[in-house]
Amino acid sequence: MELDLDESSLAIGRIERALSRIEKALTDRANRPAPTVAAPAADQSALKAEVAAVIGELDRLIAEADRG
Amino acid sequence: MADVKLTIAGRPYDVHCADGEEGQLIQLASVVDEKVRTMPGGTEVRQLLFAALMLADDAQEARGKIEKAEPQSDSLRAAVALAESREATARDELQAAVAREKAALKELETARQAPQHSSPAVNPSNNRALLQIADRIEALATKVEQLP
Repeated sequence: MELDLDESSLAIGRIERALSRIEKALTDRANRPAPTVAAPAADQSALKAEVAAVIGELDRLIAEADRG
Repeated sequence: MADVKLTIAGRPYDVHCADGEEGQLIQLASVVDEKVRTMPGGTEVRQLLFAALMLADDAQEARGKIEKAEPQSDSLRAAVALAESREATARDELQAAVAREKAALKELETARQAPQHSSPAVNPSNNRALLQIADRIEALATKVEQLP
């Protein structure tokens, strides 16, 4: 499947909306009372690893785009 | 001072206490009286002695239970505090990561738009990667929304 510029803009729009969802979920969590059961440490580590991986992938794309 | 008339083991006693403490004194006397009544036979002094010993035993047992429970509740409080602090740290880290991703996305958009003027060609592999990133961040958003 080939993507043109419009499709990449759509992808960026999806990323922006997903980031807004994450921000909203984190804000909601910060504002509600502490849960009696916290997320298991393994889940949190996996989540952090995935966030770091996605950021790394974005950094790679930026570097490539900068190089033209 | 208030005057209170108490009856313990059938004998009346006139006792003084601070104003407002009459009810509590009467209630304590009824506890002693009840204990005395469970001591069969013997003289009145003997009944009072045994009642006092039984009450001392009750008090010691209750103190032991409290002392045993205190370390447990301390460690529970510490565990809850630790869990809360870990959760707050994780939340802060995620929020910082989201901010970094937003900044990176903005940079990407700028970089993507800049070469357009000189070269309209689009790198299809970059676009594919962008689509894959969108998939991954959407999956992340779902995971974060489903955190307990």
